[in-house]
Amino acid sequence: MKEQKNLLKNPYFQFIFLGLVLLLLPTMAQAGLIKAGTVTVVGTTLIYTIAALGLNILLGYSGLISLGTAAFMGLAAYCSAYFTEKLEWPFLLSVLVSLLIPTALGTIVGLLSLRFEGIYLGIATLAVGEIFLEIFRQLDGFTNGTSGAKAKYPVIFGVEFDRIMMYYLIVGVTIVVFILAYQLLKGRLGRAFNAMRGSEPAALAMGISVYRYRLIAFATATFLASLAGILYVHYIRISYPTTWGLSLSLDFLAMIVIGGLRSIPGTLIGSFVIFGMSELVLKQIPFLENYSLVIKGVLIIVFLLYYPHGLVHIWTDIKNFFHKRQAKAASKPVKEDSHE
Amino acid sequence: MANFLGIVLRSLEYGSIYALAALSVILVFRTSYTTNFAQGMLGMFSTFFVATLISKQGLPLGVALALGLIFALLIGFLVDVTVIRRAAKLSPVGKQIVTLGVMSIVLGLTPNIFGVYDLNMPKFIPQGNVHIAGAQLSYNALLNIVFGLVVMGILFYVLQKTKAGLAVRTTAENPTVARLMGVSTKKVTMLAWGIAGALSLLAGVMAAPFSAVSTTFMNDIQITAFLACLLGGFMTFYGAVAGAYIIAIASNLLQVYLPGGTVWGKPILYMLIIAFLFFKPYGLFGKKVVKKV
Repeated sequence: MKEQKNLLKNPYFQFIFLGLVLLLLPTMAQAGLIKAGTVTVVGTTLIYTIAALGLNILLGYSGLISLGTAAFMGLAAYCSAYFTEKLEWPFLLSVLVSLLIPTALGTIVGLLSLRFEGIYLGIATLAVGEIFLEIFRQLDGFTNGTSGAKAKYPVIFGVEFDRIMMYYLIVGVTIVVFILAYQLLKGRLGRAFNAMRGSEPAALAMGISVYRYRLIAFATATFLASLAGILYVHYIRISYPTTWGLSLSLDFLAMIVIGGLRSIPGTLIGSFVIFGMSELVLKQIPFLENYSLVIKGVLIIVFLLYYPHGLVHIWTDIKNFFHKRQAKAASKPVKEDSHE
Repeated sequence: MANFLGIVLRSLEYGSIYALAALSVILVFRTSYTTNFAQGMLGMFSTFFVATLISKQGLPLGVALALGLIFALLIGFLVDVTVIRRAAKLSPVGKQIVTLGVMSIVLGLTPNIFGVYDLNMPKFIPQGNVHIAGAQLSYNALLNIVFGLVVMGILFYVLQKTKAGLAVRTTAENPTVARLMGVSTKKVTMLAWGIAGALSLLAGVMAAPFSAVSTTFMNDIQITAFLACLLGGFMTFYGAVAGAYIIAIASNLLQVYLPGGTVWGKPILYMLIIAFLFFKPYGLFGKKVVKKV
């Protein structure tokens, strides 16, 4: 019994369990339990979760903000579409190069973060995002302009993927990313990040190269955004310039703030709140759909001001609330508050 | 040469617009310690209000603008009192995200309040050109240039010479000491948000005749204003103004003289500015703030 409980609390087990549940969705859709469209929404939400996780590591640990996440995601999407369609490269080679180019560019932008205060970086990345958007709109040969770049479901080792297999691939990649991120953040990298978060000058004094880890955080963020972009373009199979604007970067921020900073499950929860909510709930109610931007903005502000730990802490908070009430009821005759 | 002069003169008009927008960003930055990403959207919102008064109520531009200024002032107060004041304890980046939330709200509200269609904004002086040393400039552009300079002049005079300006400058320098000295920093911040809103509205009304009043027409101005602040350094008011005029002139020169400049002039300028900032991260007039453990 105790061992079972421990297994349930093991994060690796939780991630794999989550993956298995997600893998069941297409079967459930075939059985008619859920709508087929829901599977696509979940797939897209997972893709966005990967990108948001990168931003979460960047913002949560190094306190640096990037408003260019969507632009880097878009760049990777366009790269992969261009390499597989126009140049007819094999899928895996295209993935490799499409990961490499945005990550390299992202690291160069990250160099700016070594010189700037965090708040100036937000503006610089905003400008970088604008530059990318202009490239997406104007560089017809590469991006096919406003009519959008098309891509196909991938072919890996001779196996042709379809929509459902692509969904399985997305689930698999998501879970692997979760496990790797958890592993990395638990180890040396995570400890360095945490020291930086506490106080950068102090971390510097402890011999942690703040600059190196800032760059690592930036590179990780762009790498995950690129990965998400590649998955996106081969799942949705088209990429428009308008997709990769500031509003998507804002959505990523909202996901992190609502779900919980520095939390992998929090990012997933936030992603489902922002994308799941607008796709599955708000679109059903025309009045609310008109106000989806307002709702997002209000959620960002309310969570930052009144619930900065995010939804991921809600279970602990509810438990604590009842524990405190029980403790209060039990300790009523005694005046002193020994529980605290 | 006349062509070159014409380009510079026309750039000054845009420079005025960018400078007003940049000043609104700096005012908020110096009193609330964050960059306000919602500034452009707030200006867009108020400009929609003015454009609606003109097109739906038939008010003349001058009256609509006066009402719009009051509206912008009140909206600024409202945002500060309801949101920003409560966010005072957040980190600067946290506050930035709060302003992004405000931006999302304003952007979401605009089509629901003012309708989904773009509106037109008339010019103050519809036609007529003035010739300066062989270069042409419309009367309206001249008015915008002069008007922008006058507004900035008044603002700098108030900041430097009056008691209210002193309160703003002390708050900007050190809010805790300012409070100890009896400055009501809350009032100062509220006022700064109101005036920043009014400045963005002016920038919006001046820029709107170039395109139309849409939810996105201020985006470009907002980003340029931010870059102007970065270029001039966030530490001084005059730095942002200088940055705004430099960007306006450089942008127009690139668009005219660079092959393919109309498309790539702006992205290249952005890249140049970012590259410049890598070597001078605190801008032309800024200085490094020393951090202590």
